[in-house]
Amino acid sequence: MSNLLQEIEAQIAGVKTSVNKQNVGTVREISDGVAKIEGLTDCMANEMLDFGNGVIGLALNLEETEVGAIILGDYLGISEGTEVKTTGKLLSVPVGKGLLGRVVDCLGRPVDGKGPIKEDAFYPVEKIAPGIVKRKSVSQPVQTGIMAIDAMIPIGRGQRELIIGDRSTGKTTIGVDAMINQSRINKVGRASGDKAFRPMYNIYVAVGQKQSNVARVIAELEKAGALEDTIVVVAAASDSAANQYLAPFSGAAIGEWFMDNGMDALIIYDDLSKQAVAYRQVALILKRPSGREAYPGDVFYLHSRLLERSARVSERYGNGSVTALPIIETQAGDVSAYIPTNVISITDGQIYLETDLFYQGVRPAVSVGLSVSRVGSAAQIKAMKQVAGRIKGDLAQFRELAAFAQFGSDLDAKTQSILERGKRVVEIFKQPQFNPISVEVQVAILWAVQNNFFDDVPVEKVKDCQTKMTDFFNTRKADLLTKIRNEKAISEALAAELKAAVTEFKQTYR
Amino acid sequence: MKISKQARRDGKALFNNCRVNGVLDENRVRQTVSAVIAQKPRGYVGILSHFQRLVKLDIERRTARVESAVSVSDALQQSVKANLAQRYGQGLSVSFAVNPTLIGGLRVKVGSDVFDGSVKARLAELEANF
Repeated sequence: MSNLLQEIEAQIAGVKTSVNKQNVGTVREISDGVAKIEGLTDCMANEMLDFGNGVIGLALNLEETEVGAIILGDYLGISEGTEVKTTGKLLSVPVGKGLLGRVVDCLGRPVDGKGPIKEDAFYPVEKIAPGIVKRKSVSQPVQTGIMAIDAMIPIGRGQRELIIGDRSTGKTTIGVDAMINQSRINKVGRASGDKAFRPMYNIYVAVGQKQSNVARVIAELEKAGALEDTIVVVAAASDSAANQYLAPFSGAAIGEWFMDNGMDALIIYDDLSKQAVAYRQVALILKRPSGREAYPGDVFYLHSRLLERSARVSERYGNGSVTALPIIETQAGDVSAYIPTNVISITDGQIYLETDLFYQGVRPAVSVGLSVSRVGSAAQIKAMKQVAGRIKGDLAQFRELAAFAQFGSDLDAKTQSILERGKRVVEIFKQPQFNPISVEVQVAILWAVQNNFFDDVPVEKVKDCQTKMTDFFNTRKADLLTKIRNEKAISEALAAELKAAVTEFKQTYR
Repeated sequence: MKISKQARRDGKALFNNCRVNGVLDENRVRQTVSAVIAQKPRGYVGILSHFQRLVKLDIERRTARVESAVSVSDALQQSVKANLAQRYGQGLSVSFAVNPTLIGGLRVKVGSDVFDGSVKARLAELEANF
């Protein structure tokens, strides 16, 4: 027995305690959240640096004699001479379903006071987008619940659709509506017990916004019961520029986890013009050479590598997707400015919101002429294709004729009918905020419009008629709506049922 | 003081000329500095400041500082020197210092690499893990 003890003792004595090698540097200069660090000879690009006291930084500039790093968090405690250590890790954020319903900062730390987050994994913030082999063409729809968008500018899972417009034209509202609608679809899908149902998770990235606005959006989501399917990533206006520049990438990393695990995610970047401004600030303090409008040369790459990460991957790789709805704010409707043109060229289409339309009462103020979705009807269900195929062309024709018709009152019957139909479609597409419409109701209403059931309703009563018709469908013809939802196409039998239902409604409508 | 790009380039060129087989030659450094001061080329103060900075960083890279809680024996000093020479090559100047706040163990710093085997560092690590 004593032999055994001696053996153990000898083994313990033989064990050498290993000492880890660390690479350190000292802060030589610090200003506006950017530190210049001497030393750190083994530092890698985009590596996390430990400034002590829980403050971390990100190495962005590797120069001959020093390292330029941005500090994430409070930089006031750091002074010249502070020791900095490398960590050997890339900047990463916690990801997983544990984040749903939570509000986090750009490093995935909770800011909503609901306790710690249980993460499934850590994902690097900067990641190369999936390649061509992994991808699949976009073919499944994302229902935004906004009739004008779902009918004319359809968005597919894995698409990047830009929302662009002046200040206060309802850009955020479109994003919030889309999130609320995803949550509603998820609830219906889960309740139906359909195994093939694929829920859509929302990620809302707020960059450089007022805290009050973010709080309002969160309250709105909570009121609609959509927060449980949503992750909110916040880098508010009072956060450092470094945090604002990183927040969209964190959001993308959180979304990628859903994609890699065969789920679908919708990310709203609100908004990328503020992110570009934050990145410009960081780049200028890092003394990187500036280009047009003082943005650094890689501001295009900043957005292209971010948006390229939204994708639809093929079945072999899990069949997941990340859909991105970036938002860009224009100044006085100028879409030809630097950042807007960059992002327009990167995305697969844009939803252009016009101030004039907004104040004419056309809300959502979607400009039909300038908005486009390059994925097209591939991302619509068949029933929607059947009823909405011609609407965009009809509306374009209506706009042209409406300008022309102002000059004369003598119009032929055909022009007259195009004008009357156009006016009614414009009315139909008006929709209050935070009130998405389900796709089967959209199909039923548009079917009624296309089949001349609205032609005898006066223009000012169209909205009222639509509301009542929706109520009628929801309360009396719920089984018909379920049929449209499940069959996803309007067969002849279904068309006959629709006709009977709409006729029945029209008889009672006053 | 802002050092112009040209001055940086010149300083770097002078620094490279002072190296013999990758190791900085002290005599050449001294000669270079006196020659630049004698000739006073355009922006020479900037050139010399940058030159000094490069020399300072180079010296730091080749300096090892060994701290211990109590003074170490000659035999241990020799073994530390031999180990460091094995790792970093010849031409390393090693200095020894006593730092009682370490409590125990050694802390070796070579350039920006730190090998911290002190009791203090382990306690700090333990604290961070809790």
